[in-house]
Amino acid sequence: MRSRYPNRGSGLEYYLWIFTRLSGILMLFMAAFGIVYANLAGGRTLLDMAAQYRWGFFPTYWHVQNSDIPDVFPNWSNSFWQIYAVLLFFVAAVHGFNGLRVVVEDYVHRPYLLLFAKWLVFVLFLFTLFAAAVIVFELFV
Amino acid sequence: MYRGRHVGYLEGLRYKGQENMLAWVLHRITGLGILILVGTHVIAAFFLNAIGDNISTTITTIYESKPMQVFVYFCVLYHALNGLRLIVEDLWPPLLRYHRELLWFQWLVFLPVFGLPAALMIVSLWSGGA
Repeated sequence: MRSRYPNRGSGLEYYLWIFTRLSGILMLFMAAFGIVYANLAGGRTLLDMAAQYRWGFFPTYWHVQNSDIPDVFPNWSNSFWQIYAVLLFFVAAVHGFNGLRVVVEDYVHRPYLLLFAKWLVFVLFLFTLFAAAVIVFELFV
Repeated sequence: MYRGRHVGYLEGLRYKGQENMLAWVLHRITGLGILILVGTHVIAAFFLNAIGDNISTTITTIYESKPMQVFVYFCVLYHALNGLRLIVEDLWPPLLRYHRELLWFQWLVFLPVFGLPAALMIVSLWSGGA
């Protein structure tokens, strides 16, 4: 269980350890809020279970478009949910890619390979954030 | 740090970490599973909208299939429940006295909450659902 406890020597490592815990709670609450909202906005009768989970994960209108909702635009597709989805994804991406960095540090020991792997993780992180923002705000040309 | 201990893979499998090691291994596997699945899903959705290539279509088809949905649900639910238990134990260390009880309680919650929807999904797959 080495990776569970923070290395007190480095401030950043400690803050990332705290962030992993707090963002975990935050993501649970954000998903719960999204699902509660979806049910109050008529999803109780219109959404099946899978659509509710998809919406909780990433509240974008195409995650509920194939359900029985006749018009997604008033309640399910507005700038509130776009910003909410990007914030949720950003928190989840920092949490997830930081976890990947911890796993990489556990199994990669050669210094240059570790440096390369950590940069690869960082570039993937940035590209995933970019892709998610483009998808949510529909910035395709 | 398995390399530092000079333990082989077969010996590692026989390691008697029991339910604690099972929780650690599953937390790591499910975390990586979420990262790989959601990451490829988002990147595939990006390229599907930007270019519309065959690889993205294939990835999206695999991601939307029922067995994959069961696996994603397993990963998310286990990682969320186990992470919640870890947070509770890390932020309120006196609760570590009840660590074993918390682990069993976690399985008690996980099995029905995962098992019932997963069983429904698999049954609908058998009866010809998509």
